[in-house]
Amino acid sequence: MAQRAVWLISHEPGTPLCGTVRFSRRYPTVEKRARVFNGTSYVPIPEDGPFLKALLFELRLLDDDKDFVESRDSCSHINKTSVYGLLVGGGELWPVVAFLKNNMIYACVPLVEQTLSPRPPLISISGISQSFELLFGIQDFLHLGQKNDTELNTKLNQLPDLLLQACPFGTLLDANLQNSLDSINFASVTHPQKQPAWKVGTYKGKPQVSISITEKVKSMQYDKQDIADTWQVVGAVTCKCDLEGIMPNVTISLSLPTNGSPLQDILVHPCVTSLDSAILTSSSIDAMDDSAFSGPYKFPFTPPLESFNLCYYTSQVPVPPILGFYQMKEEEIQVKITVNLKLHESVKNNFEFCEARIPFYNRGPITHVEYKVSFGQLEVFREKSLLIWIIGQKFPKSMEISLSGTVTFGAKSHEKQPFDEICIGGTAYLKLHFKILDYTLTGCYADQHSVQVFASGKPKISTHRKLISSDYYIWNSKAPAPITYGSLLLVRCHN
Amino acid sequence: MGPLSRETWAQRLGAFRASPSAFMAGPEGEDLGRDLLNELRSEKLSEQTKVSLLALSLEYPAQLWPDAAAAEAAATSLLDTLVLLPPRPSALRRPLLLAATTALAAGNALGPTSGASRRLLPLLLGLASGRDLGRGFGPASEQRPLQATACECLRELESCKPGLLGGCLGLLRSLLGQEGPVQPLSLLLALALRNTLVIQARARAGLQGLLVAGDMPAAGGPWNWTLAEEGDANLQPQAPSWPAAEEEECGLAVLEPSPEEARELRAAVAQLLDTSYLLTPVAQAQLLWLLGWALRGLRGQPPVLFKPQLVRLLGTAQLTLLHAVLALKAAFGEALFTAQDEALLLRRLTLAAQHPALPLPAHLFYLHCLLNFPENWPLGPTGEETAPLLLGPRLCRGLLPSLLHDPSALLAHLHLLCLLCAEDEEKEEKGQDWCPRHYLGELLAGLRQRAALHGGPRALATLCFQASYLVVHCLATQPTVLTPLTHGLARLYRARPALAPHFVDLLDRVGPELGEPLRTALRQEVVSRPGRDEALRWHLQILSKVADGKAPSATLGFLRAAAAHCTDWGLQQALLQVCRALLRAGVGEGLADLLQALARHLEDPDGRDHARLYYILLAHLAGPKLGVALGPSLAAPALTSSLVAENQGFAAVLMVQEAPAPMRLSVGPRRAAGPVPVLQLQVEVLEPLYSVELRFRVEGQLYAPLGAVHVPCLLPGRPCRPLHLPLQPRRPAPAQLAVRALFATPAGLTCHAHLPPLPVNFADLFLPFPRAPDGDKQGFFEELWDSCLPEGAESRLWCPLGPQGLEALVARHLDPFVVVAQPPTSYHVAIRLPPASRLLLRLEAAQGDGVPVALRTDDWAVLPLAGDYLRGLSAAV
Repeated sequence: MAQRAVWLISHEPGTPLCGTVRFSRRYPTVEKRARVFNGTSYVPIPEDGPFLKALLFELRLLDDDKDFVESRDSCSHINKTSVYGLLVGGGELWPVVAFLKNNMIYACVPLVEQTLSPRPPLISISGISQSFELLFGIQDFLHLGQKNDTELNTKLNQLPDLLLQACPFGTLLDANLQNSLDSINFASVTHPQKQPAWKVGTYKGKPQVSISITEKVKSMQYDKQDIADTWQVVGAVTCKCDLEGIMPNVTISLSLPTNGSPLQDILVHPCVTSLDSAILTSSSIDAMDDSAFSGPYKFPFTPPLESFNLCYYTSQVPVPPILGFYQMKEEEIQVKITVNLKLHESVKNNFEFCEARIPFYNRGPITHVEYKVSFGQLEVFREKSLLIWIIGQKFPKSMEISLSGTVTFGAKSHEKQPFDEICIGGTAYLKLHFKILDYTLTGCYADQHSVQVFASGKPKISTHRKLISSDYYIWNSKAPAPITYGSLLLVRCHN
Repeated sequence: MGPLSRETWAQRLGAFRASPSAFMAGPEGEDLGRDLLNELRSEKLSEQTKVSLLALSLEYPAQLWPDAAAAEAAATSLLDTLVLLPPRPSALRRPLLLAATTALAAGNALGPTSGASRRLLPLLLGLASGRDLGRGFGPASEQRPLQATACECLRELESCKPGLLGGCLGLLRSLLGQEGPVQPLSLLLALALRNTLVIQARARAGLQGLLVAGDMPAAGGPWNWTLAEEGDANLQPQAPSWPAAEEEECGLAVLEPSPEEARELRAAVAQLLDTSYLLTPVAQAQLLWLLGWALRGLRGQPPVLFKPQLVRLLGTAQLTLLHAVLALKAAFGEALFTAQDEALLLRRLTLAAQHPALPLPAHLFYLHCLLNFPENWPLGPTGEETAPLLLGPRLCRGLLPSLLHDPSALLAHLHLLCLLCAEDEEKEEKGQDWCPRHYLGELLAGLRQRAALHGGPRALATLCFQASYLVVHCLATQPTVLTPLTHGLARLYRARPALAPHFVDLLDRVGPELGEPLRTALRQEVVSRPGRDEALRWHLQILSKVADGKAPSATLGFLRAAAAHCTDWGLQQALLQVCRALLRAGVGEGLADLLQALARHLEDPDGRDHARLYYILLAHLAGPKLGVALGPSLAAPALTSSLVAENQGFAAVLMVQEAPAPMRLSVGPRRAAGPVPVLQLQVEVLEPLYSVELRFRVEGQLYAPLGAVHVPCLLPGRPCRPLHLPLQPRRPAPAQLAVRALFATPAGLTCHAHLPPLPVNFADLFLPFPRAPDGDKQGFFEELWDSCLPEGAESRLWCPLGPQGLEALVARHLDPFVVVAQPPTSYHVAIRLPPASRLLLRLEAAQGDGVPVALRTDDWAVLPLAGDYLRGLSAAV
């Protein structure tokens, strides 16, 4: 269970190589074992240059997919995971775990402790999940609070030292690199016994516990007879516990009001020490009924020093917070649009912001717009072929607003406009962006009084809630729209 | 080289990292390793620069110190640097330990004879056990991190040399029980324990109290390498390659610990598991993999020890932890997971595979785990991806593909959908509205729609064809899926003929279930719209793939119409390619007219020549022969360029093909007569061969060039007369003959094969002297004998005799050359060695086990050959 090498590569489309290796680290002792274990199927780790080229080719990130290339485009070259085989130096380097996120490619090669021919299934390779954790860990570290390139460079410069701490010989010791950074800084502290490895020091100061619940609501609305709208709430509970002592115990209970929507699909942080079986089994896979467990959801844990996600959940609320329809009809070089949005009465009508973005893909720039809005204002981004309807902080008393208009487009210029593979022809969407503070759609809350802390001193407890939209789409009901199986199934159930 | 500045080093390291091989090949390469070690002791460089030098040595020890001796020297130097550090805090101690460990482990220097190993191991163990190593070992504040580092170094050494710490298990246990750092010690103990168990099981030895015994090896005392030497032969996977698959490999079942040992083992494992919550999630996962393997198959060690950990682990979203649980599931099956547990695990996995809070790569990995789920009672064939029995359509609802997915996500989910469709076959008949199969159809239609977009990225087209391939692969027996797929693909071609290469690729890879109907549909699609078309070259590419004997008149009609538009060389070649396909398919009527027309009217002379050749072939060759003549070439079966493929096919008719040797050639009995030595060759063939020509080449020009041997026909099972190969030696010496065979196969191809080289032995060159005058054989022999000296050489040697004695030996090997014989004790032998040498032997006064031989020759060079020959005679009987 170890890694042979790890790379960070920035994806730079348009440059000659289309990318640069920003960081790489090899583990020769692991490589030595790979040579023994893999036997005749052993392929050595290439140097950075050839690796970069082969990886970008395989990930289709080179700017040259004009021609059919069998080794990449053949119908039998099927990749169903983020694990690839790269053609380097006459052999195929496999398994290469790699993914692209925020223009950075994260890649590493785990040790496979057997021959590679025939390829063993990924599930049997212990190093695979470690590869993912390492890459996710680096990703979290690089993007936590990172604002610009300078900060990114600073963090990239810290990586060699951090990996020397967190992964000295290729076997990952801690995926939380921030923790490793702290442990370098904490080095002089004398450690008491039974110090958890995921907690490098102890907190000294005023005890306080902060809990924030962030719910994201996503939705797909079609306004069609035969396709059901879908929506889902995804919650994340983030905690920061500043408590003295090595292993303070904390229990946080999440509660629901009487009409609240049960929490499902609960995933907890590894520091949670025990879980009620009702929490473990409450799942969106099952049909909902009244007997569903509706809390309180108790999470006993020993907190790490840093802020962490205590748990994630999903929930199926009875109605979407904003229900709408979007109709778009093409008439030669212009389109006619009608939008209607209705805020559900049960939802808190007090937004930090609320706007609807209406993009027009695979068309030229907007040359002319005529429109009428019943509420809010419309901003036109001509070059981006985008309309933004700014709704503001509140819906009007009627809770219902509408927009109608005609948009005219200029000639399409291929270079500037990126190709969208979904919004072709009449297929189009508008996307809602909103945020409501001190509110959750499920009703879920953490009661200050229900937080139990077994540590010296009475901590100050603060709780926060917010609801934000994420992937909240309303599709043009006058054209086909991409659907999920759930949308079809629900209709059948309802009929 | 003198001391380098920080900047110079930064530059040098940068250049090295950009391309280590290029740097090492350059002028500075050789010195880098040595300079690096020297600079570590320089007082001018900052600690930070030194750390970066050490970091380089951690990554590239094999480049810096390419052999074991250099690695040993480097490790020694690093250790020297370490002990020379002043006793104040320093950032160098930790990387120095890591670097010394890396140099030894990666450089193959670790072992009982290595001085550096003998220094490093006790040092690491001392540090790991928190012993006070005295003033030289830095301030107290560094002890704790160094203790952890020492554990990591030991673990790496144990990984590379299993069994190294077998003698320290007891010590590690007691350290873990005391105040030692939990995570490094736990992982070290678990690894050492697992390795020890494996090595002892292989050696069929018990634990021999290893778990309880073991104090510190005395400082300076010898390290116990016994177990490491045993383990050395088999580097052990730290985690099992999937347990179920290689039950025997692991071989732990043979280890039967005594009740007392079993108790100690259980206690050690429980000790590790009880404190496992103090480990980071990734470390916990490692511990579980290691212990899971250690206990698997070990009698008297029920896996219930793991049970208390499972609920906690199942609740988390951590990839490594869930993966480790799956490993335990695979290792212990029902012994650890009841049917209900299995269902719960499956549900958690299903949930994780779609949970919106987890990233896409994790989803895809979980989906892979679902399709490879280690079921308690698997029904399907092993090694194939299948949906577990408990994973019904209901559980899968959220896991089905959607057009909004990324390509790899779409394919992964599509695979699951296909598996469901395959299972759902019977239920489907009852007619449901939105069954998975309808959904599949809709999805594929959506993919084709996107692929049809002109100017769309190739990735979209590729995805569409990959999805189609996957569907055919899983659902080849379901016409309700394949028929709409075929029609859909034909429509896609109509909409975007530029996808022709994808279609050709698909046709190459799918079976006849889709291949046959798709060929027909595409052919109809193409020929139904003749005339000038931007897409003509794509049409021709498709036709060359799909044209067969069916409905040839439509195809020919299309070609006739197309010929007028084939103005450039490429198009003409593509057109001819289709004609070639028709020729192969046995289309005759109409094609001849077309070819004649093409031979007259094509603008390009190359095209006209081709057309004419095809016409001639069509007119003169019978069907099957035509098929072979135009069939795919043996030499280059897969070439993407249609033009190259065309030429290759042609080459099959007009050129000689390389083929594996279809015959065996051996040297038969000698025929010592005539003016020159002649080899008698015996031939056996595996298949009928015609017009065989055997060509020989002498290596080293020892003989004059050899003529070829011709045989009109060779048939398997039918004996062939020996073939005679006269040799014309330039020197009387043995040689190797390289042999090549040219022949025609029954299929009409001319082939060429290399046969194994044929040895010509020294004795193969022997010829007798012309018959001596009657009556004075002795005088004749003596004359020859005397003539050898003084220019020649004389020797005496002992020729060992086998049980048959001298008479039999002479009869067998030397009979044709005997001039004077007094059986059974004395023989005079005269051998002529072309071109102009002689070898004379006197075998006299034989004894029981051998005969003294006096030999003379007029050629010095023959002497050693003759000696070897005579000494080898008895063995050759």
